[in-house]
Amino acid sequence: MAQRFNWLRSGRVITGLVIVTGLVLCAVFAPLLAPNDPTEQDILAILVPPVWLPGGDWAFPFGTDSLGRCVLSRLIFGSRIALTVAVCGALGAMVLGSILAHIAGYFGGWVDWVIGRVVEIWLSFPPVILSLILMVGLGAGLQNVILAIILVDWTRFCRVLRSDVMVVAQRDYVAAARLLGFSHWRTITREILPATLPLLITLMSLEMGVAVVVEAILSFVGMSVGAEIPAWGQMIADARADIYSAPWVLVLPILAIFVTVFGFNILGDGLRRTLDTRLTQTERA
Amino acid sequence: MALLDVKQLTVSLTSKTSTLDAVSELTFQLQPGKTVGLVGESGAGKSMIGRTIAQLLPPGFAVTGGELLFDGEDLVGMAPERRRSLLGRDIAFIPQEPLSALNPVLTIGQQFREHLEHIGKGGAGWKDRAAAELEAVHLHEPRALLNRYPHQLSGGMCQRVLIAMAFASRPRLLIADEPTTALDVSVQARIVRLIGEMQKRDGTAVIFITHDLRLAAEICDDVIVLYAGRQAEYGPAEVLFRDPAHPYTRCLELAVPDVTGDPRGLYLLPERMPGLKAIADLKGCRFATRCPLADDTCHTQEPGLAEVAPGHVSACWKSFATEGITPPPAPAVAARGSEKILEARGLSKSFVTNWRLFGGASHFHALKAADFIVRDAEFVGVVGESGSGKSTLARTLIGLETPTSGTLQLLGRDIIGTDGGTRDWRQKQMQIVFQDPQSALNPRRKVGSIVAQALEVGGPRLTAEALEVRIRDLLSDTGLSQEMAARYPSQLSGGQKQRVNIARALCRLPRLLIADEIASGLDVSVQAQLLNLLLRLREELGFSMLFISHDLAVVRYLCDRVLVMSKGEIVEHGETEVVFSDPQHPYTRSLLAAVPKGVRAPQVEELSA
Ligand code: SF4
Repeated sequence: MAQRFNWLRSGRVITGLVIVTGLVLCAVFAPLLAPNDPTEQDILAILVPPVWLPGGDWAFPFGTDSLGRCVLSRLIFGSRIALTVAVCGALGAMVLGSILAHIAGYFGGWVDWVIGRVVEIWLSFPPVILSLILMVGLGAGLQNVILAIILVDWTRFCRVLRSDVMVVAQRDYVAAARLLGFSHWRTITREILPATLPLLITLMSLEMGVAVVVEAILSFVGMSVGAEIPAWGQMIADARADIYSAPWVLVLPILAIFVTVFGFNILGDGLRRTLDTRLTQTERA
Repeated sequence: MALLDVKQLTVSLTSKTSTLDAVSELTFQLQPGKTVGLVGESGAGKSMIGRTIAQLLPPGFAVTGGELLFDGEDLVGMAPERRRSLLGRDIAFIPQEPLSALNPVLTIGQQFREHLEHIGKGGAGWKDRAAAELEAVHLHEPRALLNRYPHQLSGGMCQRVLIAMAFASRPRLLIADEPTTALDVSVQARIVRLIGEMQKRDGTAVIFITHDLRLAAEICDDVIVLYAGRQAEYGPAEVLFRDPAHPYTRCLELAVPDVTGDPRGLYLLPERMPGLKAIADLKGCRFATRCPLADDTCHTQEPGLAEVAPGHVSACWKSFATEGITPPPAPAVAARGSEKILEARGLSKSFVTNWRLFGGASHFHALKAADFIVRDAEFVGVVGESGSGKSTLARTLIGLETPTSGTLQLLGRDIIGTDGGTRDWRQKQMQIVFQDPQSALNPRRKVGSIVAQALEVGGPRLTAEALEVRIRDLLSDTGLSQEMAARYPSQLSGGQKQRVNIARALCRLPRLLIADEIASGLDVSVQAQLLNLLLRLREELGFSMLFISHDLAVVRYLCDRVLVMSKGEIVEHGETEVVFSDPQHPYTRSLLAAVPKGVRAPQVEELSA
């Protein structure tokens, strides 16, 4: 039983978990943590530098932007958008992609052929272009950002998982389960899914990082949430004008994105290493 | 002077806290042109010597004592450059798994060329040289072969290619590590003969590592029997087989069934060979825990290797007392019913091999009009080489393939292309035991959940207690201890896995088991236990079995009747004793002739390829 939690011993997983947990706490307790209202404009305090620079003010620990809004508060509230998109987008892409991957890999034959061709066609569009086209078609808004991410990125899951499913489906224990009277659905969920789950979790974690970046790009071009809701991409867009006089307004949201993506990636990478080796060991032993 | 002189060689697994010996004080000499066999079960240390010479010891293992002299040079302490120049050139290897020894993405020619370059025979004209070497191992059209990829060749052909490569440098020493284990008996006979032929041509000395005492007795000059890392016995092959001095040698021989002679039981070695840790704690003879002749002295004092006859040594206090070890009597002939369990009429299966839009398709007939009956409580063997259609037959019977034509009746009920209700019923009545327990057991399920898997669906839901009881019964039926229920398959030994595999198939008490090569790849003592288990289970539960195997001796021991298959056709069938003692079809005769019998100078009839 002890080896079940082996993955907790990996430094990468711990680092990733700490970062991601921190983010989740920020998002959940944003109203308690933020020192100011993120949308309140204080025209008397425009472009106040952060506390560690001369002229800083503890009322605005990370300074203010060109409209006099508190940068720290906006960052904290921005994590809500980032995480919502990360979780919903990645989950949706995973569900769609992995269902199709399991169907294709398990049944093979023409089913696999059809799904494989669709994935290929999908992948022939550059993802950024595809998401922009989708956004233009769907219109701005948070739901549509999530939908765009799902529609663009399900292929990642599908392609990678399909080959894994195929390998597992070839095993005799899958045939044995069928011969013991298991239905297709039961065979997939009881015999195949447990084997592909580690890969699924890993991909999911990486995909959350991707989703954060995509959301930032789309909110940067004003395709995401409206201007009244703070989002990191929007903060970057707003800060462009004052890039020389107040670089922190630009650098801080970029840093937030960077740390978030880093957290998801290192978590995913750590999980891949620990879960995968455990698998190959049991498989080979 | 001996070509290879091994003196007191000790190989150990060393860690900070302990030193565990995997091979202890191995001593033997090998003269040019001679063959020595290393025989033992897995874990006996028989692969270690080859690995030591090749410097391919597993991590943590090292030579901790003794000498290994090749033509007077110390192979252990030699400079790495010198060793590299010897390996592949003066010392060659033939591996166990021919397919995995060849690189799948390179052609045979590319790999041959690389090897020729390594041994200094590359350069212009390499193709002619490679073709000549391939010709020497009786491969047809060697030039065309150079352009093929390994997966386009059969296992036997791959092994020939590797033999051609090994002998290309005219080595003085060849190490063959179970070179025929993965191959069919008839292919084995040809490969073994080929090695002998090449050996004679070049005067090569051979170390032949095998688990098959009879095969070793047939082709080797001397045989070393290893047990738990120590030489149990070392002597001339015929003497060792005919008149063994060491109890272990005798037990090994009696643990495998014969294809000829009076029927007899199999000698059952209790427990398992001690592991490295256990060996270190043993005070007396390493075999004492399983030896039928052990007494107090054996448990306290370790016997040294003593000469029992000129050129024949044995490590036992009671050498030559082995006459007292006799096999149990042959299993009683079970009463067979007359009820037809399975009846196949004209059962055929063909695969489309080359499908074209216009001009139709070509077919490969894997199974041609098979007619046979399996009766109540009857074990029917199916023998034949790989590619003879044995596995297609199994897959068709169990429903993994749909037959192209013919009828199949289970207990008088048609079971081809039928509705869901019949399918459920069929799955309850007929189960398969897959060949490779590694692949057949879900590594993420615990043993308890695997054996009772069939109860998850179909039939009324069982209470947790009833399920518990069923699991307990299945485990004890198949000779597994109750603690196993909580383990994962990766924590079991090969023999235990195969028992779990059988337990799962028996869960709903089927009337018919299809067993696909379930006793191959196991150590002889484990195999003997498994065969007896099947016989006992038949007595207790009364099922029939279709037992597919390439091992004719095992089929003779276990099965009442036998079907001989060749190229998708049943060429001969009948009572096992009758077929084996008086084979009618030439194919059956050649199969029987290829089985090693422990007698030297095999005159094997050539099988039509
Ligand atoms: S020494 Fe004793 S225990 Fe060892 S093999 Fe001989 S009789 Fe058996």
